[in-house]
Amino acid sequence: MNNLQRIQPPVYPAEKVIIPKAKSIRLNNGIPLYLIEAGTEDIMRLEFTFRAGQVKENIPLLSSTCNMMLSEGSQNFSSEELNRSLDFYGVFLNQSAEKDSAGIVLYFLNKHIEKVLEFSHEILFRPVFPEAELNALMKKRLRWYMVNREKVQNLAMDSFFESIFGRHHPYGYQIHEHDFEKITPGVLSDFHSKFYTPENMAIIISGKIHSQTADLLNSHYGHIVLKSLNNEAFVNLPASEKLKKIHVEKSGTVQTAIRIGSMTINKRHNDYPGLKVLDSILGGYFGSRLMKNIREEKGYTYGISSSLSSLDLTGYKVISTEVGQKYCQKTIEEIYREIRLLQSVPVKKEEMDVVRNYMSGEMVRMFDGPFALAESFKSAWEFGLDNNYYYSLAEKIKTVTPDEIIELAKTYYKIDDLYEITVGSE
Amino acid sequence: MINYKRFLLENGLKVLVHEDKSTPLIAMNILYDVGSRDEDPSMTGLAHLFEHLMFGGSVNIPDFDTPLQLVGGENNAFTNNDITNYYLTIPSENIETGFWLESDRMLELDFSQKNLDTQKSVVTEEFNQRYLNQPYGDALLKLRPLAYKVHPYMWPTIGMDMAHIRNTNIDQIKKFFFSHYAPNNAILALTGNIDYDLAYKLTQKWFGPIDNRPMKVRNLPEEPDQTEERILTIENEVPSTALYKVWHIGARKSHDFYTLDLITDLLAGGESGRLHTKLVREKKLFSEINAYITADIDPGLIFIQGKLMKGVDIQNANNSVNDVINSLLNYNGIHEEIEKVKNKFESSTVFSNTSILNKAANLSFFELLGDPGLINDEVQSYRSVTYEMITEAVKRYFTSSNCSTLNYISTRKE
Repeated sequence: MNNLQRIQPPVYPAEKVIIPKAKSIRLNNGIPLYLIEAGTEDIMRLEFTFRAGQVKENIPLLSSTCNMMLSEGSQNFSSEELNRSLDFYGVFLNQSAEKDSAGIVLYFLNKHIEKVLEFSHEILFRPVFPEAELNALMKKRLRWYMVNREKVQNLAMDSFFESIFGRHHPYGYQIHEHDFEKITPGVLSDFHSKFYTPENMAIIISGKIHSQTADLLNSHYGHIVLKSLNNEAFVNLPASEKLKKIHVEKSGTVQTAIRIGSMTINKRHNDYPGLKVLDSILGGYFGSRLMKNIREEKGYTYGISSSLSSLDLTGYKVISTEVGQKYCQKTIEEIYREIRLLQSVPVKKEEMDVVRNYMSGEMVRMFDGPFALAESFKSAWEFGLDNNYYYSLAEKIKTVTPDEIIELAKTYYKIDDLYEITVGSE
Repeated sequence: MINYKRFLLENGLKVLVHEDKSTPLIAMNILYDVGSRDEDPSMTGLAHLFEHLMFGGSVNIPDFDTPLQLVGGENNAFTNNDITNYYLTIPSENIETGFWLESDRMLELDFSQKNLDTQKSVVTEEFNQRYLNQPYGDALLKLRPLAYKVHPYMWPTIGMDMAHIRNTNIDQIKKFFFSHYAPNNAILALTGNIDYDLAYKLTQKWFGPIDNRPMKVRNLPEEPDQTEERILTIENEVPSTALYKVWHIGARKSHDFYTLDLITDLLAGGESGRLHTKLVREKKLFSEINAYITADIDPGLIFIQGKLMKGVDIQNANNSVNDVINSLLNYNGIHEEIEKVKNKFESSTVFSNTSILNKAANLSFFELLGDPGLINDEVQSYRSVTYEMITEAVKRYFTSSNCSTLNYISTRKE
């Protein structure tokens, strides 16, 4: 035993990812339902998703407020009754409104599915948007907003989105104090009746699926009448602002937030899987170049990362960090230096192997268990894609060449195209 | 029911194995029985700084992360008052690399000066990011020394003064390692797609040859009973005034831990918790309010903290919090609420235990408390709390002489 050679044991290639297929059916009225069978416990995750995100709103805060107000009172229950009942049955309710979609996710023990379906139906289709609850919510949100505007990372992200998507586009515009006064029950119920509709929704359920699960959903949701109205608002494409370099002064801060990036392709584009690998090499994991250089070599920051995100109308990439004030300029120079290196010097085989294997491991985690499966399903499905998207990503992770990485870096990381936001005190 | 097997190596390493073949992954968790409570008051933050150093190379492996990433693994760690906990997940076919990595850094670190210098800087930036560059970020830095006068829980895990971190040298780091890191001071848990036999064989192979070491004997000062209400008022440029209140409670293993946990759920569990319902929704005194207990091994705290709505008087807010606490003594309607929080606790325990990482961390922590089987008893312990136990605990703990209050006053003009 004592002469054990402490060297790395054999490395086995990741087993091919096999992604369980979602079962796709339609309720009697045509609402798409996706069922994903997974896991060992008698639990479920039930998501209702609507094309009701910020992109559909004509005034700021409308989409998020409408979503938050869903549980603030319905035709048959007060907000207190709704919240108390969900808590009583041990249900976890998450409400969220994002840039493109909005909806709710419920996590619960299977034995309570009937109650969950009853209450979710009230929440989604019978909200009454009571004025008193709305006023209280907007006052609270204004307080949260004031606190968030004290944080350099929030100011930087808001300014970044404004710059890359444009100050008039719902993906990009910033929120101001006076916006909190403009939301009324009337505009909420108008938004709700246009976008929280059966023709605008899908249901994704995962966990221990039972033989009667689909029937139960049909009995609660299959009878809602489709309106066949076309309320689709015309949506402008986002257009970046001209000014590429912005500093927001925030006095009394000890760290400066940096955001560098731009609009880019989304998942529907063939180059996307390759770009995902490039993004990982640059700043997508702990062993990435930015993390190694800025944190592990220089100690300028607690963390730095880059990420690539898809939206319906476009996509974006962004490098994010908070650094000690005195390291700000040096960090920015290093970020550009790392990008230039990726545009000119082929990534060595050893590094390619690490990133390939790391990403292959990540793909295993993306499909591990009912919750991860549902989230991965949704994030392809939203773009009209299916498991083949993930299979081609897995393939690209294995086969992308160093030359392709150079080409991708030259095409998608042109330094002149990048927006640079700093927030802190100079 | 979480089934597990347990064995002990000759060198003192405790090992727990839980098989879950529904996942292609294995989680590996190593808990070291050392936290910020074990630090010298003149060198606070060392346990957490040390956690950073554990990724900077060990005696036979220059870099921890790269070989792990090469086998598709992912890892992280945390330090708290009581423990330092390292965890990773890895596709099952490559689990042996996890054993190689974790055993090597238990054997010995490479104690590089360069790594120490960099991580001092990283930790300083972490301190800046979490505590200085956030509104209210320093509240806990003020509150801990108000509540604790002698026990080391008075300082935060990151350290009470960054000068302590800056002044640390390699010799102190070495000494810390050899007096706290050893198989006889660690618990290893393996959960997920692993057979017990393989776990046993690999543990023997990689951890078996590491000698046990004499550990520093823990001898912590006991916090004396608080006898007078403590109030600290500070002013700062924040958007709104905030109120922080803490009360001393017993140790993690004391019999009323679950009673107090349940009380904080009655107060603040979910949207229908009493504090939220009464003070945010009905009276509109707070924009947010929360309550929880620390799960510290030594006697801990109940926390209630909230941010006030514009124009609300802090004394009024404070009195209203006390009124809500006292309302728990009123019999009316409380039984349904107790049933509600018990159901919610059961549900959240089931959800938490679907994750192999949570299972590994929980098994390790309960082993440290003396019985990994507690992982299966928690729901029952919580369910067995009665109304009488609740009222008794409310009367005993929520007294003004047991309370420390931090009034965090906004100086902003609106």
